[in-house]
Amino acid sequence: MTAVLDRAATPRRPVRRRAALEWVAVHSLGLALGLMFALPVVFVLLTAVMSDEQAFSEDLWPREWHWGNFAEVFETAPLLTYLGNSLLYSLLATAGMLLSSIPAAYALAKLRWRGREAVFLLVVAAMMLPPQVTAVPLYDAWSSLGLTGSLWPLVAPYFLFDAFSIFLLRQFMLTIPQSYVDAARVDGCSEVQTLLRVVAPMARPGIAATALFCFLYTWNDYFGPLLYTSEVPEEWTLSLALSSFKGMHQVEWNLSMAVTLLIMLPAIVLFAFAQRSFVRGITFTGVKG
Amino acid sequence: MTATLERAAASRAARGRPRRTRHRLAVLGFLAPAGLGFVLFFGYPLVATVVFSFTRYDLINPPEWTGLANYAYMFGDELFWTSVRNTLWFVVVLTAGRVVFALGVASVVARLRSGVGLVRTLCYLPSLTPPVAATLVFFLLFRPNEGPVDSLLGWFGVEGPLWFSDPAWAKPGIAAVVLWVSGDLMIIILAAILDVPRDQQEAAALDGAGPVRRWWHVTLPAISPVLLFGVVNSAILALQLFTQAVVAGSAASGSANVTGSTGDLGFPGNSTLTYPVWLFTQGFRYFDMGYAAAMATVLFVVSFSITAVLVQRMRRASHQEEGA
Amino acid sequence: MRKLHRATSLLVAAAVSLTACAAGSGGDTTAGGPAAAPGADEAFTLTVWSNYSGRELAEVTKALESFKAKYPNAEIEHEGSQDDDKITAGIRGGNPPDVAMSWATDNIGQFCSSGTFQPLQPYVDRDRVDLGQIHDAVRSYTEYKGNRCAMPLLSDVYGLYYNEDMLAEAGLTGPPRTTAELLDHAKRTTKRAADGSIEVAGFLPTMPFYANNPQNWAPHFGAAWAGPDGKSSLATPEWAEMLRFQKELVDFYGYEDLERFRAGLGQQYSPDHAFHQRKIAMMIDGEYRTAFLDDQAPDLAYGTAPFPTSKPEMHGTGFTTGSIMGIPKGAKNPGAAWELIKHLSFNTDAIVDLANGIKNIPTTKAALDDPRLEVDEDFRTFVDLARSDKLRGNPVTPIGNAHIKAVGDFASSWQSGAVPDLLAGLAEVDRRIDEQIAKSGK
Repeated sequence: MTAVLDRAATPRRPVRRRAALEWVAVHSLGLALGLMFALPVVFVLLTAVMSDEQAFSEDLWPREWHWGNFAEVFETAPLLTYLGNSLLYSLLATAGMLLSSIPAAYALAKLRWRGREAVFLLVVAAMMLPPQVTAVPLYDAWSSLGLTGSLWPLVAPYFLFDAFSIFLLRQFMLTIPQSYVDAARVDGCSEVQTLLRVVAPMARPGIAATALFCFLYTWNDYFGPLLYTSEVPEEWTLSLALSSFKGMHQVEWNLSMAVTLLIMLPAIVLFAFAQRSFVRGITFTGVKG
Repeated sequence: MTATLERAAASRAARGRPRRTRHRLAVLGFLAPAGLGFVLFFGYPLVATVVFSFTRYDLINPPEWTGLANYAYMFGDELFWTSVRNTLWFVVVLTAGRVVFALGVASVVARLRSGVGLVRTLCYLPSLTPPVAATLVFFLLFRPNEGPVDSLLGWFGVEGPLWFSDPAWAKPGIAAVVLWVSGDLMIIILAAILDVPRDQQEAAALDGAGPVRRWWHVTLPAISPVLLFGVVNSAILALQLFTQAVVAGSAASGSANVTGSTGDLGFPGNSTLTYPVWLFTQGFRYFDMGYAAAMATVLFVVSFSITAVLVQRMRRASHQEEGA
Repeated sequence: MRKLHRATSLLVAAAVSLTACAAGSGGDTTAGGPAAAPGADEAFTLTVWSNYSGRELAEVTKALESFKAKYPNAEIEHEGSQDDDKITAGIRGGNPPDVAMSWATDNIGQFCSSGTFQPLQPYVDRDRVDLGQIHDAVRSYTEYKGNRCAMPLLSDVYGLYYNEDMLAEAGLTGPPRTTAELLDHAKRTTKRAADGSIEVAGFLPTMPFYANNPQNWAPHFGAAWAGPDGKSSLATPEWAEMLRFQKELVDFYGYEDLERFRAGLGQQYSPDHAFHQRKIAMMIDGEYRTAFLDDQAPDLAYGTAPFPTSKPEMHGTGFTTGSIMGIPKGAKNPGAAWELIKHLSFNTDAIVDLANGIKNIPTTKAALDDPRLEVDEDFRTFVDLARSDKLRGNPVTPIGNAHIKAVGDFASSWQSGAVPDLLAGLAEVDRRIDEQIAKSGK
């Protein structure tokens, strides 16, 4: 520590000093940002361990710590069943999204063909209809197939089309210099090989990020499962458990927040591990190998 | 000599045709599932919505044809115009705010050397919070008089506004919630920044460019496609802002609910009545799906036109940059 | 032109055929009269959707199970957390439950007029059910334009809650009986800090706030929602009187001060409720509040009374709304569903047990008089209101709660001083409500 200070204080080494100052500035900024982002989640945690007399009152620090709230949540709702359904929904949707969106994004980003721009705009357009409205004809279609009350209406679309992911993946693939793709073609790679051996590895951080979003979006999805599966208790997802803690004239805030945290927990763990995919360097080892 | 050239040309032409065919097949093959999905999950609801928009449809009985009546009603529907103004506010503020904020945070995080994983996780944490909970947390933090933010302001002798209960502050409050949960965009931009080829950075550094200039001249152009995604994605998010607005309104009026399903829509003074909230209210609370479909059609046409122009402009700008 | 019209209607038909087919495919037997009741030993399964969860869900399930005393081979599948949107979607999709329960009485106009719920009158006539057992006000919010499509499942009745200590401290001996007295009591129980900010508000008049809704207030001023022609009738002296009462009290506090005070109060459905926290001395609320007060603020000395009225002779007026149940269009087993609904609407034991379980008001005269109904002094007020001729039901329109939002919006701009001409403003609200109803075509 003193060494750092000494060095920072030495006027003869202005570059080092600047670097050290930058290090301090960047890291204190990072710490401040981290705190700012974490603070509201801390409030969720504090509310989750309050008594039901205190929760959602102006008193933000628990007067007593009710860790038992978490156990109570497990007793009220069969969370393990819900967890299984949530995993099924999120994993299948993510796998389906990767299968359908990577090739589509590649065709939109790296292949040249007539009408490409128009098709891209249509993909963007597909995100612009309010979901509250499209849900009406889609629900009717699914129920005429007899598939409501199951996870199918939620999962199946991802195996074909997810505008958000196609759009995002295309934009990531655009950041890959065209020269790498051209080089692969000169080497005699087919389009499938170019995609699998060159573009996909180079776009790995982007693919990882897109997959993660797809997973987490479906994980937190409340209105989809409410519309399609909520009348069949065996098909409930974790996110629906939130509705177990409201009554006609009351809300159990502490238990609601406890279940909120339990819903978030697997996602946090997943993110903490998955984020390694974004770490610098992966892209280029991919190309060299 | 000429014979060989001719033969080479002929064989190139012969090879060219199957290659072009193969190329077309590749495009077709890559897009086929997406194309089918597009027709089923976008084309079909779009056609149904447009058709419903010319009808009176109570969600139970078959729609009755009413021509342009729903569109005509919009002109005299005062709350329709209120919702248009509210949503425009969000589009402007959130599109700019979200991209700038996410880019700023990502640029700081990209430069961290230690504690990177932790800070990244913390930044992303809010995006994992269900939107209802996130909004309620902000509501509690910004509770007038005795809430933490007002207490903090009180130490400096400042009396805070009524935040979510003040028509002038409710929208900024909701915007703050949305910015707080924009960790997803931040991660996307961060991934793009980390993806910028290092040789470009190093070349610029050798030319004597400082970190700020490198950021401006190398990083920013390289990630511009992802920034375009950020702009379009944020605009769409703002156009469809629903849950946060409903929850903020119901909490401020004193009847918060865990699932965000009830409440006094638009409270205070309809300042949080966004376009999708009014559309949903007309369609599902007042049972006029025809009118809701007309609103959806208008939203679609307008937002699609704006995005098309935006995408064209951005592309032209980036082409010019490449050319220079 | 004709051809074009035919082409477009064909397109409509094609695009919505799924909807129409799905909705029409269920066992809609209403056209051929009421469906037969199941035999006493017959085995059948009924699905019931409600929006209850947790403890309330368990209580309602218990009440549903009591149906088995009459039909031992019945199976009942009760799914909670199903809201009205879900019921509508289920009907459109052709897989509705046999019995649907709803909290949103504002939707009864749509439910009856659109056929969401099947007409129950044929069953009532066939079984010679005595609807006289149910109060007129409760009957009014379970039917629309003479079409009975729902039955009540307990109700909420609204009255005045007052803090006894605060009234006594202000030298007041009892609760106000008229709105003029309410004004006076509110002013006298209000306390301000040295800087002029409000510490305790005697009565908080802003809308929306907790149970301050136009539909709850209106009966106490004799204000009616619609005239004899069915058109919205808000530009009347009664509505003006109600809004002037509100404005006078708002002006007494000062709009800015009042808003600052109100914005800092706790949530309606939390222990931080302003009445629990002794920050308001009087309020309007439903009978269910007694249970929360006993549970969350056991030391609070409070009383209940009929909400004050604008004219002394109207004293004893109450407002009621409640949960409803019906047989959705396309239900698989409407005959048995009616038996279940009849059981829950008229079986005194089942009603009393459920009312005791979730602390709501029973909806039949027999159940209100039943000695097993747990009634303490505070709850008594609401039971008495529920028996009174002066009880008024929730207003019914085919446009959900659009009329209530229109009046609520008007009241909130009026209270802020943004409305120059009260009656002209109300006439404008009338026009907008009528337009919305005309748009619905009902």
